[in-house]
Amino acid sequence: MRILLIMVLSLLGCSGSIDEPVSYFNVETPRPFGYVNGDEIPQRIIIETRSGISLQPGSLPVKGQINRWLNLNRVTVKQTGQRYQIDLLYQVFYAPLEVKSLTLPGFTVQLSQGEKSISQNVPAWTFTLSPLRELVVRQSEQGEYMRPDSPPPLLANTQALYGLAASLSVAVLIAVYLAYLYGCFSGMSRRTLFKRTLRKLAGLSEADMEQALTVVHHALNSLNGQPLFLNRLGEFYRRNPQYLQINSQLAWFFNYSNRYFFSDAMIAVAQDLQQLKELCEQCRKIERGSR
Amino acid sequence: MNTDTQLTDWREQALQFERQINQTVIGLQPAVRNIILAVFARGHVLLEGNVGVGKTTLLRAVAQGLGGDYQRIEGTIDLMPADLIYYTYLNEQGRPCVDPGPLLKHGDTLATFFFNEINRARPQVHALLLRAMAERSINAFNRDYHFPHIQVFADRNRVEKEETFELPAAAKDRFMMEINIDMPRGDTELDELMFNPRFHDTDRLVAGVANSGIYYRLNELAQTLQQHIQTSPKLHAYALSLWKATHQPQQYGVQLSDVEMPQLLMAGASPRGMSYLIRAAKTRAWLEQRDHVLPEDLQAVFPVCMTHRLFLNPMYAYRKEQLLPELIEGILDQVAAP
Repeated sequence: MRILLIMVLSLLGCSGSIDEPVSYFNVETPRPFGYVNGDEIPQRIIIETRSGISLQPGSLPVKGQINRWLNLNRVTVKQTGQRYQIDLLYQVFYAPLEVKSLTLPGFTVQLSQGEKSISQNVPAWTFTLSPLRELVVRQSEQGEYMRPDSPPPLLANTQALYGLAASLSVAVLIAVYLAYLYGCFSGMSRRTLFKRTLRKLAGLSEADMEQALTVVHHALNSLNGQPLFLNRLGEFYRRNPQYLQINSQLAWFFNYSNRYFFSDAMIAVAQDLQQLKELCEQCRKIERGSR
Repeated sequence: MNTDTQLTDWREQALQFERQINQTVIGLQPAVRNIILAVFARGHVLLEGNVGVGKTTLLRAVAQGLGGDYQRIEGTIDLMPADLIYYTYLNEQGRPCVDPGPLLKHGDTLATFFFNEINRARPQVHALLLRAMAERSINAFNRDYHFPHIQVFADRNRVEKEETFELPAAAKDRFMMEINIDMPRGDTELDELMFNPRFHDTDRLVAGVANSGIYYRLNELAQTLQQHIQTSPKLHAYALSLWKATHQPQQYGVQLSDVEMPQLLMAGASPRGMSYLIRAAKTRAWLEQRDHVLPEDLQAVFPVCMTHRLFLNPMYAYRKEQLLPELIEGILDQVAAP
């Protein structure tokens, strides 16, 4: 029984007096080292009071310059019931020559209960401030003492690049199609010129000799880029020397066409059409480069 | 003698005549060929070229070779139409006399009329000449004189522009061909012209051309020839395209540098010009031993028959010398046959 009494008494001794106006008080500070000139130091003060006691905001430090090297940048007070959370944000402007111990000054928070005023001390907080740059003059002449900042990391632009590539390809495709519509690829169609001519000739008989001759004329004209006549063959060969090897056949064609179109009507025979097709096939071979 | 043989004989004579002229006036083969074409197609010829390149010698040689009565007049600024028709003088008895001028002197046998330096004569003279050329007749002394055989050769030099009168479009149109005479290009020919004494005395040179005496039969020949040489429907279509292209070259894809094509031409070829073109083309086909006209015949005579018939917009007239040949070439390059 005695033991039980002792325990109860000692427990009673541990509990705080229920008359304390401030039931909870804490100052939360970050690490006390590793600061350099210009750093911001947050400080959070949490006060829980008994009901009926309120914080005097006028007792808090004022935003602005605290002393020669310390600024108070922000003061925020958040109240939830009887719990006050005071956030202070200090900024240090001190360039020490070596690691130096500095102190955030303490202050007193005033709480009031009716006419009565209660004080709660916020202790000073000591931290160390490091120099920003090395001050010992190097003996060695080599090496860059002051180094530039590392360049900022680049923003990811992969997506933009993909977008650009996609729109460029679409633009190029459209441009190519437009050029095709404007007839800029005549060279391409020129390589299949006689293929098309042969296809057209295939369905013709000697009765359609006029059409057959016209088709071949058109093909030669497009190949030459302008109308081709017998007396201009020399110029044509200069531009297309590969056709010189079928000179005799071309000359036959032009003479035949001249006789057919411009002299008294002559009767076309199947052999003529055959010869015409052979000429086209020779041209097709030259066009394909196999001759 | 049937027509074919007759035409063959005539062709031989024509080619012989051409060879003879080419020996007399060297280095001008294309011009000589064109003159032969004009003579056998019965068209008038205007020669244009620099001074001293042989225009007059060429025409004199042609006139001499053709035979027939020949008259010549020099264009001057004070030449009046009446000077071509008559001249007045006092005879030995002191009585005033009126004699026929160069045009009337030979009456209807006048063959070659050579108008030297035509652009120095006034427009009044050109007007008289217009009628003589187109209708082969003039009115003088209250009656009409006919010259069924007249062939006008005219020349003008393109160096001087002072005291000259540009030939009106109507006068130009009456010439079948305007032929440019340039200096011979070959070194041997230039050497010959410089050092061979044969070319120093033009009178003797021209006198050396044998008179072929063919002249007064030319009209008949030309008529036979024009009827005999055939043109096919395809050729008609080609000639029509050429004609249209002289009016609206842009529709045939002709494009010249620095030129707004629709504004280039004021006037294209006239119907008379096209009929001259076909006549000349037929004559060429005949000389090439064919009885039908080919596109190449039209192409060969197209520049000489057409260049002086196309009239450029005044905006482009100052580039005439450059644009007209390009235009003609462009038309020939773009119009296809068939």
